[in-house]
Amino acid sequence: MLSVVLKISARNVWRQKKRSFLLAGAIAFSMFVITIVNGLTGGVVDNIRVNFSHALGGHVFISGSEYREQGIVYLIADEQALLDSLAHYETSIESITRRSQAMPSLIFGSRQAMQLVYGVDFSEEDKLLSSLVVTQGSLERVTDEQTIILPRTVAERLGVEAGETVLMRLDTITGQRNVGEVIVAALIEDQERYGISAAYVNRSYLNSLLGLRPEEYQALNLFLTNMDDADEVGRGFREALGVPQPATLADIKEMDEEEAVRELFGMARVEEIEPWEGIKYQVTTINQIMEPVEAAVNVLRTIGLAIFIILLVITAVGITNTFRMILIERTKEIGTMRAFGMQQGMVRNIFLMEALLLSGGGALVGFVLYGVVSLVLGQISWDTMPAMQFFLDQGRITFDATAREVVLNTCLILAMSLLAANFPAKAAAKLSPVKAMSSNL
Amino acid sequence: MAIIELTDVRKVYTLGKTEVHALKGVSFEIASGEFASLIGPSGSGKSTILNLIGCIDQPTSGVVRINGTATNGMNDRELTTLRHQTLGFIFQSFNLIPVLNVYENIEFPLLLGKTAVPKAEVHDWITYLVEQVGLQDHIKHRPNELSGGQRQRVAIARALVTRPAIVLADEPTANLDSKTGQTILELMKKMNEELNTTFIFSTHDSTIVGLTDHVIRLLDGEVVEETFQGRAAAEARS
Ligand SMILES: Nc1ncnc2c1ncn2[C@@H]1O[C@H](COP(=O)(O)OP(=O)(O)O)[C@@H](O)[C@H]1O
Ligand SMILES: [Mg+2]
Repeated sequence: MLSVVLKISARNVWRQKKRSFLLAGAIAFSMFVITIVNGLTGGVVDNIRVNFSHALGGHVFISGSEYREQGIVYLIADEQALLDSLAHYETSIESITRRSQAMPSLIFGSRQAMQLVYGVDFSEEDKLLSSLVVTQGSLERVTDEQTIILPRTVAERLGVEAGETVLMRLDTITGQRNVGEVIVAALIEDQERYGISAAYVNRSYLNSLLGLRPEEYQALNLFLTNMDDADEVGRGFREALGVPQPATLADIKEMDEEEAVRELFGMARVEEIEPWEGIKYQVTTINQIMEPVEAAVNVLRTIGLAIFIILLVITAVGITNTFRMILIERTKEIGTMRAFGMQQGMVRNIFLMEALLLSGGGALVGFVLYGVVSLVLGQISWDTMPAMQFFLDQGRITFDATAREVVLNTCLILAMSLLAANFPAKAAAKLSPVKAMSSNL
Repeated sequence: MAIIELTDVRKVYTLGKTEVHALKGVSFEIASGEFASLIGPSGSGKSTILNLIGCIDQPTSGVVRINGTATNGMNDRELTTLRHQTLGFIFQSFNLIPVLNVYENIEFPLLLGKTAVPKAEVHDWITYLVEQVGLQDHIKHRPNELSGGQRQRVAIARALVTRPAIVLADEPTANLDSKTGQTILELMKKMNEELNTTFIFSTHDSTIVGLTDHVIRLLDGEVVEETFQGRAAAEARS
């Protein structure tokens, strides 16, 4: 029975090619628009997440602070709880960086510049070293205690070259002024692509200038093998380190407005600061950082969905009208089929199948169109537009519409077309077979 | 034995406030295997009678029996099944399905449910019918590629494909020139004899009754004359 329905409805679709193309085209267009929006927003979120994680040096970020008389000092050390957690998640973690950081003035002759400087343990930062593009000098000597890797643009501003010595002036963690000397080991291409321009020195040396012990550090960043594990790993570390879990949406709904705003924007409760013993940890994941981005992108998604639904409604009206016309055109034919013994349900199914074929075909075409357009757009390099780099993958737009989104959109289209065809289909089923006789049709 | 039996059948159409009495108490019987004709001027009620026998319409009062079963009170599904299994139709304007070719048009009724033709015999059976109506060279043609006479030949094969007991033809020659119409009637007669299928056709042309066994003359919704000739007359006498 299905094959008869399929055969007749498929031929009927071909019968009025222009009309069918118009309807299927409208559906293809709707599918194309929504999939492009899905793909673009999905791609942008992916890229921002990756770029963020590169810029911030990880997917899970652990920092710590100690309460001292002079004030709060940011530091961590390899405490047992931390080591245990690292061991526990060993398989999920691709690489670990333990960094200190400072914003010293770099001074060369009469020139100086403020610069973000990371104190890194070069022996555990293969990932970093391999990502640097050296323009002058070499990375061989970086393990020497008092060396610095400088971004090329900063070196140009200071007028310094590899092999020369710059002064580094900074405040210690307790607020005293301190000065050190570092030799420029290498100049590197700016990593502005990821929104930062950082210099790198040995952690133990930076620590000595900051007044930290050599084995201490300020941030522990974890790169995970699979970014999707970030939440789980974050939760595990919080548990092990005694850090409260971040508020869930349900918690936030319970809070009063002021509290909720504070929680959402991660603001500390200033009035509640009381002295504490030992290191207080903070664990942040890339997903938490991405939350505002996701929220912004969700607005785009919602707008896309709204446009999609409007397009669908317009198309649905088109389908209903067309099928009403078809009903009139084929009155005699339907009567004939009924006379020969076609049951009402089959007449209805032929109409519905015709709608499904049109909309399914349209959806398929729209999806293929999306594939082609995204492939073409993905070839274009936007390297010349620095402001956009954060949304791109190495200067290129990427599209990532999930299978779930595509299936959902297709189902919406199919459901809409069934709904639109339902009324004319029922009317067709109700046509009397006597209509086959009328010679004036 | 009567395969069709109408007893005091009345049909009233209501058009707004006016009532049209299309049939005013019609009774007759048609025996199995007859080649019968309904003859009468336009508006005399021929189509109405064929629609009632064809189970595509129901009488206002009276009883229509097909194979001894009254059709009164059957629901749409039952009537549809009865049509599919017992009846074949030939229309004045051919009514072929435009998206199907000759073979598919003939095959079409077989696809609508269980029939008397076993699956394995379908192809041979259709090929036989195609040959009988002389269209073996046009099997792949669509209806719009055929002449009127050819289309009506397809329609005859289609009406016979389910091996129905009865074939109804409402003015099958009205859209054809008289020569083609004559050959169509001859073809119907040939199939009637070949397969022993009961044929009932209507016409307003009282000159083409020569072939028929049983003539029912209608006027203004009433049977005004019933005559038997040839085989039917012989059987009626015996
Ligand atoms: N659907 C209908 N509604 C109203 N009147 C009808 C309808 N069908 C037929 N009639 C009327 O019934 C009478 C018989 O019609 P019909 O059976 O078509 O006659 P014939 O086929 O002999 O020309 C005519 O007066 C016709 O106008
Ligand atoms: Mg008529």
